[in-house]
Amino acid sequence: MLLELENAVLSYGKIEALHGISVQVAEGEVVSLIGANGAGKTSTMRALSGVRGLSAGKVVFEGEDVTRLRADQRMRKGLVLTPEGRGIFPGMSVTENLNMGAYTRKDKSAIDEDYDRVFGLFPRMSERRKQVAGTLSGGEQQMLAIGRALMSRPKLLMLDEPSMGLAPMLIQQIFDIITEISKQGTTILVVEQNAKQALSRSDRAYVLETGRIVKTGTGAELLDDPSVREAYLGV
Amino acid sequence: MDFDALFSGLDRHTLDGITRGSIYALVALGYTMVYGVMKLINFAHSEVFMVGTWTVLGVYTVLGVSTGETLPVVIGATLLALLAAMIASAGTALAVERIAYRPLRKKGAPPLIFLITGIGCSLVLVELFGQVFEVLFGPPFGRVTVNIPSVLETKELFTIPGIDLTITNTRVIIIVGAIAMMMALDTFVNKSRLGRGVRAVAQDPDTASLMGVNQNRVIMLVFVLGGAMAGVAALLYTIQYDITKFDIGFIIGLKAFTAAVLGGIGNLRGALVGGLLLGIAEVYASTIWSSEWANVTAFVVLVVVLMFRPTGLLGESLGKARA
Repeated sequence: MLLELENAVLSYGKIEALHGISVQVAEGEVVSLIGANGAGKTSTMRALSGVRGLSAGKVVFEGEDVTRLRADQRMRKGLVLTPEGRGIFPGMSVTENLNMGAYTRKDKSAIDEDYDRVFGLFPRMSERRKQVAGTLSGGEQQMLAIGRALMSRPKLLMLDEPSMGLAPMLIQQIFDIITEISKQGTTILVVEQNAKQALSRSDRAYVLETGRIVKTGTGAELLDDPSVREAYLGV
Repeated sequence: MDFDALFSGLDRHTLDGITRGSIYALVALGYTMVYGVMKLINFAHSEVFMVGTWTVLGVYTVLGVSTGETLPVVIGATLLALLAAMIASAGTALAVERIAYRPLRKKGAPPLIFLITGIGCSLVLVELFGQVFEVLFGPPFGRVTVNIPSVLETKELFTIPGIDLTITNTRVIIIVGAIAMMMALDTFVNKSRLGRGVRAVAQDPDTASLMGVNQNRVIMLVFVLGGAMAGVAALLYTIQYDITKFDIGFIIGLKAFTAAVLGGIGNLRGALVGGLLLGIAEVYASTIWSSEWANVTAFVVLVVVLMFRPTGLLGESLGKARA
C-alpha cells in the first residue's frame, strides 16, 4: 500500500470529527472519498497531510510511519495536498504560485520540464503567467492549484473538493484533467461532494458519514448501490 | 507658534526629518516582518535595537578608537561596528524567538500570552544592561546615559547653492545606508526563493507548509532579518546622536512601531513611508512649537491616519506586497 490511514481519531477541542477511520490507497489507483457536508472529508485530508495532528491512530506512507511528521516533512516525501478552497497565494503571480509547488526542489532543468507539462495540461495558465493569482476565476484558480501540486512531483496527489464552486462544464473539465494526471502515472486520492463524477472516475471509493466510513467498494459498485444512489446521487 | 521658523528653514527641517525617519523605518521593518508572518507584535524588538547600540560602543572600546582617527581607521572601525551590531541584534532577536516564543507556539498559546511574553523579554534585556551588567562589570553599564565616541565625525560635504542647504557626510551615510538596506531586503523578499517562502507563510501558513515550507525556519529568518536591520539602525543612531542608554530602545521602539502601523503593518514599503513621514512630522512640530511636541504630533498623526485608513497608508500585508 502506498498510503494507509489506520483507525484515525481527530478532534477539534472537545469535538471529535473522525471516530477511528481507516483508508487505504495503492500505487496507481484513483480513490475517492465521498460524503455530505460535515462528514469529515476535509478533516481526513488534514490528518493525512499533517496540517492537523491525530489524537489516535496512524498514517503510514510507503511503509513508513509519518504520523509524527509535520506537513512540510510529509510533503517532501511526496504526500501532497491541494487544500479545500484551493489555497492559492492570492498576492503572487501564476508563475510564482507554480514556483511554490517546486519550493523544495533544486533540479532546475527538471523543474523547467514540469512547467512545460503543467502549461500543457492547462494552456490557460500559460496565457496568464504574469497575472496575480487572486484575480483569476474560480476554475482557473483550481487549475492553478492542481498545477502547483504537480510541480512538486507528488507520489500521491490529494485533492480536497476540486469541483467546489465550479460550473458543471468546468467540473467535467477538471475531472478530465484528474483522469489524465492519473494516466500519466500519479496516484490520486480525491475528496468530493460531487459523488457522481467522483465515483465514475475512481477505481475505488469510501463513503464517509459523521466521521465514520460506512461503505467501501469499487466506483462502479457504489454507483449501483441503492443507498448510495438515494443519499448522494439524488436518484 | 512659530511658522516662520519652519518655512524659513523648510529644506533643512525636512532633511532632519528624513534622517530621523530613516532610523525609525529600519527598526519598523522588524515589527512589520514579524507581524507579517506571525500576526504578533514583538515588543522585545525595541531592545534588539538597544543591544545594537551597546555593541557599537563595545567595538569602539575594544578597538580603542575615538574622535580624530585617520580615514582608513574610521571606515574600518565603522564597518566592523556595523557588522557586530547586526550580528548582536540578529542574535538577540533569534534568542527571543527560540527561548520565549517558540515554546509558546508549540503549546498553541493564545495571542495575549505572546504579547506579555514579549514585554517580559523587553524588561529582562533592559534590566540586564541597566542593572545586572552594572553589578557584574561596573560602568559604563547602569542607568545613566553613556557617550559613544563619534568615530565618524560630522563634516560638511557641500552646500546646495541657492537654497543654502548644507549636506554633511553623516546625513548622507544615514539616509543612503538606510534606504540601501531596505531596498536589499525588499529585493530579497520579492525575488529570492526564501523570500517567496516568507511571503507564502504570510499569506497562508497552512498552505505554505503543504508546499514544503518549514514555518519555524521562516519565522527564524524574519527575526534574524528584522534584528539585523535594527542593528544597522543602531549604528546609524550612534553616528547621529553619539549616545546610548539602557532604556534607549523604549522610545525608538514605540516610534518605529508607530511608523510600521502608520505605513500599514505587515508591509515592508509601508515601514519606509511611515518612518519618513513620522520623522518629518516630528521635526516640523518641534520647530513650530517646541521639541516636547514631537511625540504628541507623532501620535496625533497616527490616530488621524488610523481613523481614516485603519490598515495604514499602504495597507496591505507582507504577503501581498509585490515588486
